[in-house]
Amino acid sequence: MMLEVKDVNYWYNNKADALYENVNLTFEKGKLYSILGSSGSGKTTFLSLIAGLDVPKTGEILYEGKSLKKIGLTNYRNQYVSIVFQSYNLLPYMSAVDNIVSAMEITHSHQANRKDYAFSMLEKVGITKELAQKNVQHLSGGQQQRVAIVRAMCCEARLVVADEPTGNLDEKNSLEIVRLFKELAHDQGKCVIVITHEREIAKECDIVLELKHKKFNELQFQN
Amino acid sequence: MNFIKRAFYSTKAKKGRTLLLTFVFSAILIFILAGLTIQSASLKATENAKKSMGATVTLSTNMENAMKKSSSSDSDDSSDKSDRPDPGSFSITPVDLDTVNTLAKLDNVASYSISSSTSVNAKSFDAISSEDEEEDESSSSNSSNGGNNQQGGPNGGMQMMRMSSGDITIEGTNDTATASDFTSGTAKITEGVGITEDDVDSNHAVIETNLAKANDISVGDTIKVTDSEDEDIVYKLKVVGIYKTSETADARSMRMTALNPYNAIYTSYTFANKVKGDDYKDSADSVIYTLSDPEKMDTFEKDAKKAGLDTDTYSLRTNDQVYQQMIQPLENVESFAKKIVILVSAAGTVILALIVILMIRERKYEIGVLLSLGEKRFKIIGQFFAELLAVLIVALVIAGVSGKFVGNIVGEQLLEQQATTTASTSNNQGGPGQGGPGQAGGQNLGQGRSGNFGRGSSFSNFGASSAKNAKQIEDLNITLSLKELVELGGFGLAISFLAVIIASIGVMRMQPKKILIS
Repeated sequence: MMLEVKDVNYWYNNKADALYENVNLTFEKGKLYSILGSSGSGKTTFLSLIAGLDVPKTGEILYEGKSLKKIGLTNYRNQYVSIVFQSYNLLPYMSAVDNIVSAMEITHSHQANRKDYAFSMLEKVGITKELAQKNVQHLSGGQQQRVAIVRAMCCEARLVVADEPTGNLDEKNSLEIVRLFKELAHDQGKCVIVITHEREIAKECDIVLELKHKKFNELQFQN
Repeated sequence: MNFIKRAFYSTKAKKGRTLLLTFVFSAILIFILAGLTIQSASLKATENAKKSMGATVTLSTNMENAMKKSSSSDSDDSSDKSDRPDPGSFSITPVDLDTVNTLAKLDNVASYSISSSTSVNAKSFDAISSEDEEEDESSSSNSSNGGNNQQGGPNGGMQMMRMSSGDITIEGTNDTATASDFTSGTAKITEGVGITEDDVDSNHAVIETNLAKANDISVGDTIKVTDSEDEDIVYKLKVVGIYKTSETADARSMRMTALNPYNAIYTSYTFANKVKGDDYKDSADSVIYTLSDPEKMDTFEKDAKKAGLDTDTYSLRTNDQVYQQMIQPLENVESFAKKIVILVSAAGTVILALIVILMIRERKYEIGVLLSLGEKRFKIIGQFFAELLAVLIVALVIAGVSGKFVGNIVGEQLLEQQATTTASTSNNQGGPGQGGPGQAGGQNLGQGRSGNFGRGSSFSNFGASSAKNAKQIEDLNITLSLKELVELGGFGLAISFLAVIIASIGVMRMQPKKILIS
């Protein structure tokens, strides 16, 4: 078990308006999860909790049996989790490759030749060397999202969480992104949790959890 | 060191922002540099003033004690009389040469000038006098049945005559170069040589050019003078030099021939003492010690007392008035410069902090991304600091280059200010009412056979001294040194650091979730 959510409750202003009530979930490595829910259901808030961007009001989240509080949120984000945002969140003054190399440096990646490794990884997702050296603002949305995913891949974190990663992309690009996540989970053995409101994307994942009425329920899709 | 790399990328990518920061930072540094240059220039000027002005300490008879002694001895002798001292019984001990030499050996003494003056009558030549005096003397001579030897004067109304009380002032000195009239620039050797230590016990004399011209005396000639009280005592003086004085005869000197600046003859102090009588052998009326550092004046006084100076008999009078007056504007300039540096630094810090705050607000998203990657906050702050540091280096170069010009402008202004200050100092000190009777003459009236005669040169040199120093300050070379650049770099570093720290308070509070998700 990689990640365990134990009796987690969260609310913003009023306890009575809690987003979740006693949530208990477990996430395994090598699997692609999706958390499905309508807008405002608290999907992104849940992502912020498991990504170490926020802490639950009650209950705790454990990473490989260790409380995130104990690990330390900054340390947790730095060493154990990679986040892919809907709006890509790349550093705007850098090229694609520099964004990745910088992230690898921040997270103390063990890769020997970081730049070459970043180029090869970008190549794998269809970003040529020429494109990789361009400022990220000159890349399309799909390309930027792929760069963001490569950044998560290169950072060596074993848990990858993505918030609506296909929200700004067309169908073709969306499917390409899902393929990358599958590769991360199945080939690299990472635990990938994708937050989405698109059922088509959710269907591609190994396990689908639907957030409805403050509870998470596993959904089974018929292929 | 990833944050330094990020700082480099950011600085390179955001050219407009970098240029703005460079411009603002350069302006701040140029102002600070101006302040530092003024400070440095005023310090240099102060140092120069210290060296050039020196300060003087006059060793002379303690007049106050002498008066008291005179008064107490009078009242002892005649208790039935009033407490009023008898002017005739007033006696003064001249300064003995042993004391003079002991004090001359003390630390911080740059030079010393022995002064011993008296008056004689011209014999082989004629003293220069005015028409008024001629009339006065003529009537007085007639009434006293004196045999005057009047002649028409060749110099525009001046006439030469002889006086029974002495018409020539003998200014005995150890070295004309250290005599106050010469140090102040009032008198200058035009021909031959001045009196030096080598002229001790000689009959060498240096006479004024007008007196020389009027009597057709030149260097190498021998002139004769007589004792003012006994015309049978004749002294021969060999003229070794001729000097020119810029001092002009005032109303007092128009009435008394010996006070006419043209009638002053410089000799060795030993000759003056010889004329004054045996009681004055190896003595001086007064000695002016010039100190190399005016601020060590008190130390000199203490050392003199330690060396055994009899303060009941002698007094030490310090005079650093000129130095203080010269220093005052410099200190004002320095204080003003210090205020500029502090003010600009504070304002610069605030301005830069505001710019960095705005910059950070604009880069909130970037901070969120870095925080989501688990970057430590101090490294994010370090990135901003590194960016500002890069700007600082460029700004330092700009300020350093323009600082040369700033330094020149500041230097010119400083000199202008100093010139004005010096002019007013000269006017205040060299003006009417400031030059009184000289210490030597004032303190030795009624003593010895001839009676000493001062011309007030000891005080009247103040204005001239100031003028001399104004000239020295004009020669100051104000340059931008490495020290100022290092100081400037220090200020720039401190400003950058403070600005980033102030601006980073916001960064410390930022939550990545709020930035990236909301």
